[in-house]
Amino acid sequence: MMLFEVEHLTYRYEGVTAIDDLTMAIPEGRVALLGANGSGKSTLLRLLDGLIFGQSGAILFRGDDVSEEHMLDDAFALPFRRTVGMVFQNPDVQLFNPTVFDEVAFGPLQLRWPKQEVRDRVDEILERLRIGHLKNRIPQRLSGGEKKRVALASVLVLDPAVLLLDEPTAALDPRSQSEVIDLMVEWGGGSKSVITATHDLGDLEDIADHCYVLDAGKLVADGSPAEILADTELLRRTNLIHAHRHRHGGELHSHPHVHG
Amino acid sequence: MSDFHPNAKGGFIENTLEGLHFALSRAMHAEASAARTGLLQRLDPRVKVAGFLALVVAVALATKLWLIAAILVVAVALVVISSIPVRAVASRTWIGAFLFSGAIALPALFLTPGTPLYGLPITVQGLRTGSFLLMRAETAATLMLVLAYTTPWTHILKALRIFRVPVVFVVILGMTCRYILLMLETAHEMFESRKSRTVNRMTPAENRRLAIASSGVLLHKTLHLSDEVYLAMQARGFRGEVYVLDDFAMQARDWFALAAFAALTGIAIVVGR
Amino acid sequence: MHIPDGYLSPATCAVGYAASLPFWRIALKRVKKTMHSRQVPLVSLFAALSFVIMMFNLPLPGGTTGHATGIGLATVVIGPWAAMLAVSVALVVQALFFGDGGVTAIGANCFNMAIAGALVAYVMYRLAAGRSPLASPRRVVAAGIAGYIAINFSALLAAIEFGIQPLLYKDAGGAPLYSPYPLSIAIPAMMIGHLTIAGLAELAVSAGVVAFLQRSDLSLLRTTAGKVTESSDSLPQAAPKSLRPLWAGLAILCVLTPLGILAAGSAWGEWMASDYADAAARHQIAAASFNQAAPSHAPQGLERLSSVWTAPFARYAPPYIRGAAFGYLLSAMFGVGVIVVGVLLLGSFTRSAMRAGPDSA
Repeated sequence: MMLFEVEHLTYRYEGVTAIDDLTMAIPEGRVALLGANGSGKSTLLRLLDGLIFGQSGAILFRGDDVSEEHMLDDAFALPFRRTVGMVFQNPDVQLFNPTVFDEVAFGPLQLRWPKQEVRDRVDEILERLRIGHLKNRIPQRLSGGEKKRVALASVLVLDPAVLLLDEPTAALDPRSQSEVIDLMVEWGGGSKSVITATHDLGDLEDIADHCYVLDAGKLVADGSPAEILADTELLRRTNLIHAHRHRHGGELHSHPHVHG
Repeated sequence: MSDFHPNAKGGFIENTLEGLHFALSRAMHAEASAARTGLLQRLDPRVKVAGFLALVVAVALATKLWLIAAILVVAVALVVISSIPVRAVASRTWIGAFLFSGAIALPALFLTPGTPLYGLPITVQGLRTGSFLLMRAETAATLMLVLAYTTPWTHILKALRIFRVPVVFVVILGMTCRYILLMLETAHEMFESRKSRTVNRMTPAENRRLAIASSGVLLHKTLHLSDEVYLAMQARGFRGEVYVLDDFAMQARDWFALAAFAALTGIAIVVGR
Repeated sequence: MHIPDGYLSPATCAVGYAASLPFWRIALKRVKKTMHSRQVPLVSLFAALSFVIMMFNLPLPGGTTGHATGIGLATVVIGPWAAMLAVSVALVVQALFFGDGGVTAIGANCFNMAIAGALVAYVMYRLAAGRSPLASPRRVVAAGIAGYIAINFSALLAAIEFGIQPLLYKDAGGAPLYSPYPLSIAIPAMMIGHLTIAGLAELAVSAGVVAFLQRSDLSLLRTTAGKVTESSDSLPQAAPKSLRPLWAGLAILCVLTPLGILAAGSAWGEWMASDYADAAARHQIAAASFNQAAPSHAPQGLERLSSVWTAPFARYAPPYIRGAAFGYLLSAMFGVGVIVVGVLLLGSFTRSAMRAGPDSA
């Protein structure tokens, strides 16, 4: 069975068609949704997570219907929220509790875990992500890398089987970026699935076994990382790489490349 | 703001920036101080919140000046015991309350009808009224200062539940505090960047336009964030009711402190009437 | 005006809380109904915005600076009930965590500034804006008026709360226990500062940001717009270039008013029946009338008429105000306010009527 099945999904918001009659089947395992800003990949993640709902079409999660009505039912929604976790791109959105401890404890508390279990699990995950010393800090004061780890902790504490990541390495310095990647690689083994939405082509082979390319709300390509990376024409057309003129030792030329 | 004094010479941006800085650093100071171990720091926050608020109410109820003075002495003693830095922190509160309430109380000396004092234009009643105002302000401010500096504000929040404040309000308050810090920083950045692009002093109209534009930008951010935060909350299981971790357990010293607060407040109220 | 601890008696504070509680409850219910659980982040974030706006030291015409609460702005954008909650939360945070405005007075402060403020702002905004298009200058003016009147109404409530303290709460020796200033001092003292400074700050923020929103994101004004008739012609709507004329007018009027007191004696012709019997007043009348002696009795007609209508601000000084200067000033302020509002509304109505064309009602 596929992890997610998307069938003729259309989503419009304020006059913009963000997702345009999209049909795709996402397998279990490590998947990347590639696309430039505005391609619809972030919107797709939110649709997959049952946070917003399309005007037409359907999404199935392991055969179950992810619809607005179905999400009103606690019996479906609470296990879904535990099984599928999402990390937002902007830490100010993801971190809305007064302290780090409160933030990580929020998920388990809303899912009504027993209080002692909540305390234990939070301490455990903070240690595992090496942010135990930040327990009583306000999110405001943390560095970008620390915020990202808190955001991850707040979702990983529920031990979700599926992780949705929206631009996980955006706005991070190189060391934090590689730390996040390592974390994902380490965590994502075996029975876990990770769907990463990104426009960063570096590390693609480390984080995904299968890639989908989105452009203007439509699926334009899918394949393995190697296949996608080799198709420079596709990458340029969908604005995932660019070419501009620059100098190499006195000679002016241009070729497609990625920064960083 | 009672103990923030705008610099008369500084322009709008400088003053507002300083105000923002002050608010931010104040929040941080309170964090650090509350983390230190001291007698009061280790008490259950519910006892402290109930106790200090009860004392503030006792001050409000008191009709005898000497009683308010006595509570002030106790409050100052608590400041010292809690290792609150007097020069850096406490004095600002005391001076601020003095200037603010002093300014308001001053005319009362002359305007309150009653028996004149030693032939001066001041009346006895005026003096008493002025003293009431000033001492109540100082005492209340000192009590709240001790509470703020010995208790992390997140604990104060959760302790409000003993006053039957609904959970949703506790959560709203907590979120507000967290996002105030974000907004202060954003406003700070906007002003700094404007200041760096300014060659001459800005006219009042330009300053005003900056304030209005900043408000507008912050408002956009507010609404955008609010939508996004709502989604993020839902993604982690929020379905309308909020659940928080009330982590407090009373120990022997908490019961003792509670009794002490109760006794003090009870005596103050009975004697003060 | 953020009332600190010690200015209101515990009884008054209790009344403040008791008055606020039902409104908080109603507001929470209403907001829940319209926004489901979205209100949690919305109220929090708007409260944070209000808090930060309260920190802006706004430069005003005349060289002063003032603070706004953002109540007018909040009411226009998110509606009165959500605005009421948001500003209440901001005030609670100020009192509890930043030590401004006393803890005991939170109820009263919220009632004055958040609750009464939001309701007054909403009514004034809807009245003044009517059905004008979202992008019309009239809405900017309406928002400004709404903010101005709301904050002044809040100040009036606070002044009344202050003013009754010395009447009710005195110690054995007769010294007032809380605010010592009676209504005759409290009201003018509060109103002068708010009619001029704080009111203008609120007006600036409300009108200014609404104008900003008209250019950047019009849909944000939809919540409180009610029924809107879009203009039938295609003339581009220009936001007023600045509100300076409005302020200048207000400021000049407020400043000139006390000068009226300096002018010796009563305004010529505005003499009361009792003036004729008073020797000093008669002397003034004579001096002002080219030294013709005044009759020793009031003219019969004047006597009869003068008892017919005692103007509410009889002789520009309501009975409870003792000082002539304060009374005069207060009455002038009130009069100015009424005139300005009336003129603006009249102007708006005629402008929109003209724009709508000859075939409109």
